[in-house]
Amino acid sequence: MITQPNHVPERLALLGTSAVDPFLTEELLRGEQVHGGIDLAKVVEPLPEDDARWWIEPIRSLVEDAMFAFREDRTRADAWLAPRLHATLRLTRREAADKRLWNHLALAVAPDYIVWRHLPEVTAKQPEPRVAAQRFSGPADRQCFSRLWWAAELFRNGPDYGPVEIACGNQDLIHTVLRMDLIDHRPTAQALVRLLKSGQVTTGREVNGLSTAINTAGATLIYDILAPDEPHDPATLRDWIAEAESAQPVDRHGLPDGPDEDPAPEESVAALTGYFAELFETAPIRGRESGG
Amino acid sequence: MKIYPYKRLSRSIALRVTSVSLRLSDGTRDRLETSAYSTQQQAVALGIAGRTDWVSATIGLSVTLPPGVNAPDAPWSELCVLAVLTDGETNVRTSVNLTLDTEGGHDWSGALEVLRDDHRGRASLAVYAVGTVDGVRGRSITETDRSWIIDTVSDEPVRDLQLEVRQASFKRSSREWLHAYADAPWIVDTSARVPTVLVNTDIEGVMGLLDSNSSGVESKVRDLLVAQMATDAWTAVFHGAIGDLEVESGGGPVFPTDWQGEVLREMLPDVIPGVHVEEALRQVHRRRTGESGWVELQTRIHYAAVRRADAGKALAYAIRSLEQKNRESET
Repeated sequence: MITQPNHVPERLALLGTSAVDPFLTEELLRGEQVHGGIDLAKVVEPLPEDDARWWIEPIRSLVEDAMFAFREDRTRADAWLAPRLHATLRLTRREAADKRLWNHLALAVAPDYIVWRHLPEVTAKQPEPRVAAQRFSGPADRQCFSRLWWAAELFRNGPDYGPVEIACGNQDLIHTVLRMDLIDHRPTAQALVRLLKSGQVTTGREVNGLSTAINTAGATLIYDILAPDEPHDPATLRDWIAEAESAQPVDRHGLPDGPDEDPAPEESVAALTGYFAELFETAPIRGRESGG
Repeated sequence: MKIYPYKRLSRSIALRVTSVSLRLSDGTRDRLETSAYSTQQQAVALGIAGRTDWVSATIGLSVTLPPGVNAPDAPWSELCVLAVLTDGETNVRTSVNLTLDTEGGHDWSGALEVLRDDHRGRASLAVYAVGTVDGVRGRSITETDRSWIIDTVSDEPVRDLQLEVRQASFKRSSREWLHAYADAPWIVDTSARVPTVLVNTDIEGVMGLLDSNSSGVESKVRDLLVAQMATDAWTAVFHGAIGDLEVESGGGPVFPTDWQGEVLREMLPDVIPGVHVEEALRQVHRRRTGESGWVELQTRIHYAAVRRADAGKALAYAIRSLEQKNRESET
């Protein structure tokens, strides 16, 4: 297993996807050897100097704590790291959509974490496992860190990261649902988490079956009418981002607080939770007798 | 053609943008010229004023519902009209209710707020007429048939995604990865925010040619060159997008949610004509990952790129211009 590169930069920067290739070596994907960091530092584009958000140290220390705390069960690290990464690396969605930021985090800052988290076990079928390249540089819902950040962004309920923990505790939910448009509607995301929390929906097959049913029904139903959401004030998020300057390191035990935005309207979440529960009753789920 | 389990209107909603203004960080407003939006292109360009200090944009909307929506025997009630803005890159979905202009009329209007922090490039705007049908709330009765494009960066309201052309000295650029391409006149970067052609300023005269504004042969050669670059770019974009396709648990490929998906939707009808874009995507994916048919498809992909780049037109004009020049020198 590799360690961090010899040279880890002090600040986050942007690493273009076209420039990624020389560092995404076969040895790295197999978890055998990582680049030294010096050459990579030459091809990045810097981010503004005066912004405290780009300090690497808090992020580096988070991933190290995650690797230590979850050394016995690395999958569980997702639910722990997602809210804490989100509260540490405070971004607007515009910034978070920039793949170059995630490329840099992956290759310059914490390639060792990605190998630790995503290198498959050695099996008879796969004697030489390798990490999928898209965990380093790839779609937002696959790349190791952007996937966690977006899961936290889409499942948080205003400042409350509780739903993020629940959502990220279910690999199928973040694997399948994160890719679907339905999750962009906040009350829908919260209703899904509630069904998970109450134990009405548990297995991966059930999550997949339910999300397909929601999507299918959504082709003729406009969920925004059944469950209206409130517009959010951009100033609240900006304030939270500005506070990064003076923010303490995130709590390792309790959950941090997210931006102080209004939660999704309770009536909307409750209405959709009830509606999805009904849909789920009749949804075809692999491995379940039809009709529940 | 989708089949609906309830009665709908067969005609679609007409949507117009009536005004666009930016709210700046100091609280003032900047009302944009009407050239910021185009009804024909169905596009809005929020970058037209060259500002980067805006916080949000307010887009005035006016829609006309098709006839029949107010019919006394219509099977729907509780009619409302909703404008929905979505952005696959930033997972944003915002909606706003429009209000009826005059009782009994077909026209509704309202204003949509677009937050700059919420978008990196292009979002799309659709309008739905929604009602309660057969006791079911939230049924969509009809929609806009084509979404408007709200581009938060572009300075020109055009629907088709435009290439960005940038220049750099490949030999001396601080972006060291460019050094490897020092002898290429241009390269294509499909991983940037929008597909980008980087032109190598080390090739003498190339920038002069690209910037030329003359009306003579030179400008026709420039257009030909640009068409050539664009053909390269669209071919690369297509291959890049197809190579990165996500596959659903059922095995079918899904359209990327960012501009790559947009480009695929535009090019696929030329690559696999005569079928729905979803089916075309499945066929292309099958051919690439399957055992045969990928090589045969290259001609079609190139053809789609040539069309997307308007290369035929550029060549025709260049030839005509050369002929004219020859005639002039003969006489």
